[in-house]
Amino acid sequence: MTATTPATAGTVRISRRRRAVRALVVTSALGAAAGALFVLTMMVGSFRLGAAEVVASVLHLRDDPSVDFVVRELRLPTAASALAVGLALGAAGTIFQQLLGNPLASPDFVGITSGAGFAAVTGIVLLQAGGPVVSGLALCGAVVAALLMYVLAWRDGVAGYRFILIGIGVALFFDGLIGYLLTRARLSEARQAVHWLTGSVGQAGAGELRLLLGALVFLLPVALVLRRQLRALELGDDTARALGLRTELSRAGLLATAVALVALAVAVAGPIVFVALVAGPIANRLLGPATGGIVPAALAGAVLLLTADLVAVHLLPAPLPTGVVTGAVGAPYLLWLLATTNRQGDGG
Amino acid sequence: MTRLRADDLTLGYDDRAIVTGLDVEIPAGKVTAIVGANACGKSTLLRGLARLLKPRHGAVYLDGKAMTELSTHEVAKVLGLLPQTPVAPDGITVADLVGRGRYPHQGWFRRWTGHDDDAVARALDATGTADLVNRPLRHLSGGQRQRVWVAMALAQDTDLLLLDEPTTYLDINHQVELLRLLRRLNAESGKTIVLVLHDLNLASRFCDHVVAMADGAIVAEGAPSAVITAELVEKVFGLSCVVVPDPVAGTPMVAPS
Repeated sequence: MTATTPATAGTVRISRRRRAVRALVVTSALGAAAGALFVLTMMVGSFRLGAAEVVASVLHLRDDPSVDFVVRELRLPTAASALAVGLALGAAGTIFQQLLGNPLASPDFVGITSGAGFAAVTGIVLLQAGGPVVSGLALCGAVVAALLMYVLAWRDGVAGYRFILIGIGVALFFDGLIGYLLTRARLSEARQAVHWLTGSVGQAGAGELRLLLGALVFLLPVALVLRRQLRALELGDDTARALGLRTELSRAGLLATAVALVALAVAVAGPIVFVALVAGPIANRLLGPATGGIVPAALAGAVLLLTADLVAVHLLPAPLPTGVVTGAVGAPYLLWLLATTNRQGDGG
Repeated sequence: MTRLRADDLTLGYDDRAIVTGLDVEIPAGKVTAIVGANACGKSTLLRGLARLLKPRHGAVYLDGKAMTELSTHEVAKVLGLLPQTPVAPDGITVADLVGRGRYPHQGWFRRWTGHDDDAVARALDATGTADLVNRPLRHLSGGQRQRVWVAMALAQDTDLLLLDEPTTYLDINHQVELLRLLRRLNAESGKTIVLVLHDLNLASRFCDHVVAMADGAIVAEGAPSAVITAELVEKVFGLSCVVVPDPVAGTPMVAPS
């Protein structure tokens, strides 16, 4: 091949290093922001605490029964679930979007969250279930919806638009069933079901949270390892296969990882909308287009959800479920996304 | 001499066979064009040769070994492919895209090294796209974009390169520019190049070997001067024509009558 001019090699090296530095800076900044918000969430409330007190209590550095009670018993579960759910939704959202090559392809829109919602509402209305049973049903519902999507849309690999259209169909189907169940429910159960469907990090049970945290420890590194495959898959199946990728296997692995993360997040906090949709694009905006970092997206999700929880619980006159705030922020973004992708004409 | 050949190859989609019982040998170190009418199976054959389609029957051999026996990762170090309509994530920069061509040379533990930088730089230099590295792909013209895709395939650093209709969306100037680039790559590094082409005149002018297909089978193959004749064009495309020597290169040129 042509002899390389050292100049070009230098340009390539500089360009790559610049990207690497930017990724490191952005990831660290997002990590710091998520950490700060995590601590801040535990400081505010009717009993105000200093950052040092919170950190010392969480890390068991000091014994102060009253502070420990407020931090560990009352605030840590909510803060931890906001952090974990945010990480899970952010990572899963960006994997879906990159896998399907479409910014609209977040798990909220392709029926997985609706499947979880239908299963949970069924449990609440028909079985009068609560707590862990509802979470378990939501988990199963998400997995069943994902399998249904896979069977319906995944003939000969994926075609982005088909998957999304079928996903929207599946979502509407489950939403219709949820509506029907609610009309059949008694008032108290209907209220409980609607509250669950709004999504709130405050409703997390200890068992589900532990499961999600355990899954994150295992699945985030898996997602990181599979990112290399994801970057090849983004170039289309033919190119990916020509590059030596076993496309179906890689895709199944990525999809399973993302579905497990979403399903567990929904089991913990209910369907919190828009976090999965916006976390990836926010990370990309910071990192540069099409960089698709999974860890930055996960951290962006955590920052979003912790912020939304702070706003929902402390800044508004009356405490609201987290899902209301993420919905209020996410809806305008969705409209903007629909408007701009249509203008470019390459929404698929 | 051949490194890539197909024996009794049958390929198809769903329950429809497109290519049936085809034998072909791709001459090593040469530029080969696959030509034929629309839907004659030329892209299918190329996809089969690149192991993107599993043979229904028969086999494709790379360096004497059946492709299905080889690990796809190892094949990717020897054989590259540029698909007909490659896709890229929105906003991707040239450097990022060309860098992804290094995929087969990395592994679970072996990550990016200076060697990969050099391979990317060589690919950019060879295609004249070095000054575009930090530009987003979508801001480039069609001709530049196609050269960047070729650079991505070159970064893979393979001895064999297959291209599926690489000139389709280009104007005549950019078609010629791209074919000259492929010729140069072949001359400088001895790369074996196979491409599906629609334009017979360009195939005659820029390729050493032509494989003409009709209805999923090979009708004729050999040097352009031997293959591109009025009878063949009539037979393959159903077009009556006169074949005259190209006034510049003397290669066959088709003029519809």
